[in-house]
Amino acid sequence: MKRFVVSCSALSALFITAAAVTAADDPVAVRKALMQSMAASAATSGAMLKGELDYNPVVAKAALATFNATAHAYGDYFPGGSETGGDTTAAPEIWKDPEGFQEALGKFQTDVAAALEASGKDGPADLAAFQQAVGPVLTNCRSCHEDFRVKNN
Amino acid sequence: MPRKLLYAAVLILVVGGVFWFATEPERLDAATLAGVQPGDPDRGERIFQIGGCASCHVRPDAEGEAELELAGGFALETAFGTFVAPNISPDPEHGIGAWEAADFANAMMRGVSPEGEHYYPAFPYTSYARMKLQDVADLFAYLKTLPPIAEDAPSHTLSFPYTLRRGLGLWKLLYLSEEPVVTFPVGAPEAVLRGRYLVEGPGHCGECHTPRFFTGGLKGDRWLAGARALEGEGSVPNITPSEEGLRSWSPGDIVYYFETGFTPDFDSVGGAMVAVQENLAKLRAEDREAIAAYLKAVPIRASSE
Repeated sequence: MKRFVVSCSALSALFITAAAVTAADDPVAVRKALMQSMAASAATSGAMLKGELDYNPVVAKAALATFNATAHAYGDYFPGGSETGGDTTAAPEIWKDPEGFQEALGKFQTDVAAALEASGKDGPADLAAFQQAVGPVLTNCRSCHEDFRVKNN
Repeated sequence: MPRKLLYAAVLILVVGGVFWFATEPERLDAATLAGVQPGDPDRGERIFQIGGCASCHVRPDAEGEAELELAGGFALETAFGTFVAPNISPDPEHGIGAWEAADFANAMMRGVSPEGEHYYPAFPYTSYARMKLQDVADLFAYLKTLPPIAEDAPSHTLSFPYTLRRGLGLWKLLYLSEEPVVTFPVGAPEAVLRGRYLVEGPGHCGECHTPRFFTGGLKGDRWLAGARALEGEGSVPNITPSEEGLRSWSPGDIVYYFETGFTPDFDSVGGAMVAVQENLAKLRAEDREAIAAYLKAVPIRASSE
C-alpha cells in the first residue's frame, strides 16, 4: 500500500512537471491564452459600453487590469522558432520587423497605463469615464492585428 | 504548296481578325453618358468611402492629411505579377486632372483608359460596372476637390503573356457584366437591395471574399464564400450565412463589427480588413444596416470547394 502511494505521488509529481514543462515550452499556447483573456475583457468592456451589461466600476477595473498585465507579459512569448505550429496566427512581420512589433506593444502599454491612471483606485466612476479610458486601449486590437496577425479561418 | 501557304495566311488573318474584333476595348455608349447630371462632390465623398478608394490609392502607410493624397503606390502581388495602384489625384500630368467625366466613367465601368487601352482587373471595374453612372460622376467630382500630387507611382511588373493588355478583351467577355450577382424575388426588402448595390458595386467586397478561377475571374457560384488572400498570407473569411460564415451573427453583430472592428466574441478585425472597417465606420448607419441585411440574405455557401 505504502509503495502504491509513493508511486502515485511520484507519478503525479511527474505529471505536474510535465504540465509545467509544456507551458514553458509552448509559447504559442501561452500567448493564445493571454490573448483570449484580453478578448474576454474586451467582451466585458463592450457589453457595458453597449448597455447589455450594467456598468460596474469594479468590473471595469478588472478589465483594465487584465489588459495591463497582458500588455506587459504578451511580448515575451514570441521567441525565435515559434513562428509556426500550434495553429498560430502570428504574422511573420513580428520576426521580420521586431522594432515595429515592440513599438506597437509599447503603445499598447502606454495606452493601458493612461487608462489605469485615469480610472484611479476604485475604477472609472461612471460609464462615460470608462468609455474615455478604455476607448484608446481598444483601438490597439485592430492596429496591431493589421500588421502582426494573419487570419487563417 | 503556294496554295497551302495562302490558306495558312488566310487562316491567320481570320483568327487574328476575330481576336482583334473580340478584344476591342468597349466604351460606354454616348446615349448612356448623355443622361448624367454634373457630379456633386458631397455625394461623391460618400461613394469614395464606400469604395475605399484610398485604401489602394494613397501612399502605403499614409496617415492624417496624407490620406487624401491619392499618389498611388500600393503594390498588389499576385500570381500574374505585381500590380501597383496609380496616381488618381487631380494632377493633370501625373494623375487624372486632364480627364473628362466620360473618361472616368469608362475607366470605372468598362476598364478602358482614355487612350483606349484595357486596364488590368486588379482595378476592380468588374464590380464598378454595376454602379449607377450618377454615383460615378459624383465620385469624379469629389476626386477633383482633392490635392493634386505631382509624382508617379511605380509601374506594374508583370510576366508574359500578361504584359499584352489586348488579351483582356477576351477576359472581359467572360467576366465583365452590369448584372447583379445575386437575384432576389420581387418584393425583397429595400435594405437588401440597397446592400446588394453597395456590396456588389462600389464596395467591391466580392473581389477579396470570393474565390477565383486560375484565370483570375471570380467564381460566381462561390460568391462571398471566402478565399485565399490575394496578397500575403492567410485567407479571407466566408461572409455568407453558412456555418463557417455569418450564420451565428445577427444583423446587429455585423453592424457593430463595421462600427468598432469587434466580432461577436470580441476577436478584432485584422490585416487588410482594418482599412476597410475604418471606412465602413465612416458610412451612414443606414448603409451599414443595408450591407448587413444583404449579407444575411445571400445564398449560403460552405467554405470548402
